[in-house]
Formats: sequence, C-alpha cells, structure tokens
Amino acid sequence: MEPSFIEFDHASLGYGRKVVVRDISFVIQRGEYFGLVGPNGSGKTTILRAILGSIRPRSGQVRVGPTGGPPVRFGYVPQREILDYVLPYTVQQVVMMGRYRQIGLIRRPGKVDREIIQECLEHVAVQDLRDRPFKDLSGGQKQRVLIARALASRPEALVLDEPTNGMDLPSRLSILELIGSLHAESSMTVIMVTHLLDDVANHVKRLAVVERNFFQVGSPEEVLTGANLSALYQIPVAVERVRGRTVVLPGDSHATH
Amino acid sequence: MQPTEILGTLVHEFPYALFGSIIVGILCSFIGVYIVAKRVVFLGAVLTQVSVLGLTATFLPLFALPHTLGSLGVTLVTVLVLSRLLTGRKVPRDAVLGVVFASSIAVRILLMQKAPKVEVAEVESLLRGDILFVTPGLFFLMAGAFVVVMATYLLFFKEFNYVIFDPDTAATQGYRPAVWETLFYVLAGAAISFATHMVGDLLVFGFLVLPPVSAMLITRNVTGIFTSSVLIGAVAPVVGLFLAFYFDFPSSPAIVAVAFLVLAISWVQSVVRIR
Repeated sequence: MEPSFIEFDHASLGYGRKVVVRDISFVIQRGEYFGLVGPNGSGKTTILRAILGSIRPRSGQVRVGPTGGPPVRFGYVPQREILDYVLPYTVQQVVMMGRYRQIGLIRRPGKVDREIIQECLEHVAVQDLRDRPFKDLSGGQKQRVLIARALASRPEALVLDEPTNGMDLPSRLSILELIGSLHAESSMTVIMVTHLLDDVANHVKRLAVVERNFFQVGSPEEVLTGANLSALYQIPVAVERVRGRTVVLPGDSHATH
Repeated sequence: MQPTEILGTLVHEFPYALFGSIIVGILCSFIGVYIVAKRVVFLGAVLTQVSVLGLTATFLPLFALPHTLGSLGVTLVTVLVLSRLLTGRKVPRDAVLGVVFASSIAVRILLMQKAPKVEVAEVESLLRGDILFVTPGLFFLMAGAFVVVMATYLLFFKEFNYVIFDPDTAATQGYRPAVWETLFYVLAGAAISFATHMVGDLLVFGFLVLPPVSAMLITRNVTGIFTSSVLIGAVAPVVGLFLAFYFDFPSSPAIVAVAFLVLAISWVQSVVRIR
C-alpha cells in the first residue's frame, strides 16, 4: 500500500494557548484533489498552516511527505485580499516570486527562470497580461496569476486558500475549471480550502468538513448531507441534485420542492 | 550673490553639508519606499524622535558615550522591541507607535533640562536642522553607513520585496518573514539614526515620506518608483541648499519645501494624466 502523502494523527492545532482544532486524524494521498470546508473561523486555515509547516501540532503528529525525505514543495495560492497592493508589481514580477527559492539568495533570475515564467503564464492563459500591474487586474485574473506563481516553483502539491472568494459566477467557474484541469493533466495533489460548499461538492474527490466539535472526512456524497450540514451550520440545509450538479441550499429538502 | 557663486560656495566651503545631505536624501528616499509601502510611515517619525532621544542622552554626564553610539544604541533597541510589539494583537500598531513617539519626546525634553546649557544649544541646533556645519567625521560615518545599508538592501532586493508583498507565501517557500522584517527595521533604524545625527529629524522624516510618495504618483512600475524616489532625494538637497543661500532660509526646511514642491507637481501631473 502506498504511504500517505499527508497524515494527521490525533493532531491538535492552535496558536499560543488557544486550541483551534482538537484531535483530528485523516490522510491525503499523493495525487488527490482534496477539499477542506467549513464555516468562517472553523480552523480550515489552521489545518492548512500545519500542512505547510507554518505551525506545529500542540499534540499528536502531522506528517508531510516521505519520512526522512526532502521537504515537500508546495505551491501556495493565498487569499488575494491579504496581499499588499501599494507597489505596482507587474504580473511577470509577481509570477517570478515563485522562482525566488530556486534562484537563491542574492542571485538574479536567469534565462531558464524567464522561460518557466512564460510557460506558467501561458498555462493559465494570462500571457497577454505579463506587463500589466497586478493590482489593476480583476479578481479572476489575479487568481490565475497567483496560480501561475505557485506553478512556477514546480510544486508537488498545489494548496489554494479560498481561491474563488468574492468572485462573480463566470470567474468562479473558470477558476474551478482551471484547478480541475491542472489536477487532471498532471495528477498533481491539490488541496483547496473554501467555505463555499458548492465549489467542493462538484469538484473535489474527497473532503474534510471542519468545525470546532465536528470533523468528518469522506467523499462529497458521504459528507455533504443535509443532516451533517444542518448540524454544522445550525440552520436547516438541504443538498439537492440539479441538472447533474450538487447544490447546497438553505431550508429543508421538502421546502425546495 | 550670483547663482554660480552660491554653487561654488556650497561645493568648496560646505562640501560635507552638500554631499552629506545628498547621501542622506538617496538613502532615506530609498528606505522610504518600503516604509510607505508597508504603511508604517509613523514608524519613520518615531525612529527619528528616538534617535534624537539617544543623542540627547549622551549629553548627560551619566551617559557620556559618543553621540553616534548613543543615538544608534537607543534606536536599535527600540527597533528590536518594536518588531515584537508591532506583531502583537492586544494594542493596535498605531497606538504602540504613538506611545513611543510621545514618550521619547517627553523624555528628551526632560533630559535636556538636565544637560549643560551649551550642549542643549547643540541639540536644539540639530532639531532646527542647521546642516551646514556637518563635521568630516560625521560625514564619513554616514558614508560608511550608506554603503553598508544600501548594499544590503540591493543585494536582498528581491527577498525584501517578496516578504513585503506576500509574507505568507514567502514563508511556505522557506523564508522567515519575521527575520527579514527585523533585518529591514535594523537597517532602517541604523540609517535613520546616523542620518538624524547628521542632518536632523525634519530632513530625515521628510526624505522618508515626500520623495517616495512623489515617485508613486509619477511612476507606474516598482523599479521606476525606487529610481524616481532616489533621484528626487538626490536633487532636492542641492536645490534646497541653493535656495537657502539665495533667500537666507534655514537649510533643512528649504530642502523639505523643495521636496514638497516636487510632490505637489507630481500630484497635479497624476491628476492631469488620469483625466
């Protein structure tokens, strides 16, 4: 049996004295498209930080990559809102940041780095924007650029934090399609954090639902049930199939017919 | 006095003031781009006041250290303490800076009361910004600080930019944003300390803010912003000192007024360009 790529073993996570997530156990296999969902403030980003190595578990274990092997290269796509937009970096400069670790301290980007940047820009279809200021782009364009930057580091896993937050419907669907195609064409491990249930219901293969006293892992069909979501959000929630897609709706299922 | 005579006088009789204010202008205008980008402009004002406090303390017999050492020591200790306090969540950033700003001015005034009269005059002269009597020793100290600080910023230019733009992602690639942030503030603190000792707090704070803001109004790319800011920082002292001689103005306010004029023109230009 192939060893798990990421494994949480009775891990409790938090900051300072505050425990945010208590005693969770689950695995993510290499090449999986995995979702982390839950309400705002439920601890999704804390789990993400533990995966990325930014925080250590307070108890239990978090294992990432093969034991004793080199550290896993993550391509991280942060929430767009946390970026600093005072200086007008061009799209090209932003994507090049993804190469900085490979380039090394003091050294300047070379021809190979520029070629990789061009390839990544083309991959996410934003090559025409390369000289535009990043801060002037639309939400969907910014997200594509940040995905290009994550790809520029040649990652083993792509980690996206709320990638469709605040986007209009076409941009949202387009970004989800792009992430899906990146996963399909290279079997890259993809971990997506979101509070938008529809995003994960129709795209990921497996997911974890996170809330303070609730943690469940499984396929969307197993986990995203009306009973689970009603308990999680403490309001009636229905999960319906509409034109082949799973839709999460407020209210009980009888009220929707 | 003819303009050529004024320039000749500046170059031959006040070379340390002229070239000293140019290197301070270049260095502070460069650091200022980061200070404005990081939204910590108030930190610039705080560090100039803390630097003056350290300087004032050395005039007391109890802390009889070389002035530069006193100024540098107090500034660097403040930087290291602030780098911890500014990331805390209990008190807002601005409030922490406000506390240090007000306290450092108050303590400086108290210390001046206990300093010998003649030395109080020296501190007050510094605060007014009389930069014409910069000593060769102070100039070469500043030139050394300029080389070290500027070289470090330029060598790690891409790392500083990355950590300022997106510290979270930089951390996932193995960078330690807290370490880079502390290095940034230590370098800025050292530069501000030397510069304040040489040209006074008004000029230093003016250079930290006015040229970077002007550059952001007239330029639309990052390299251009740094270049324009440094150019304004280099030219404003020459024009300001010339006008100070010509109209018999105090030098530091004249230089800051020139930098403000450039800012006003940049703003008008940016408004016209948008229309």
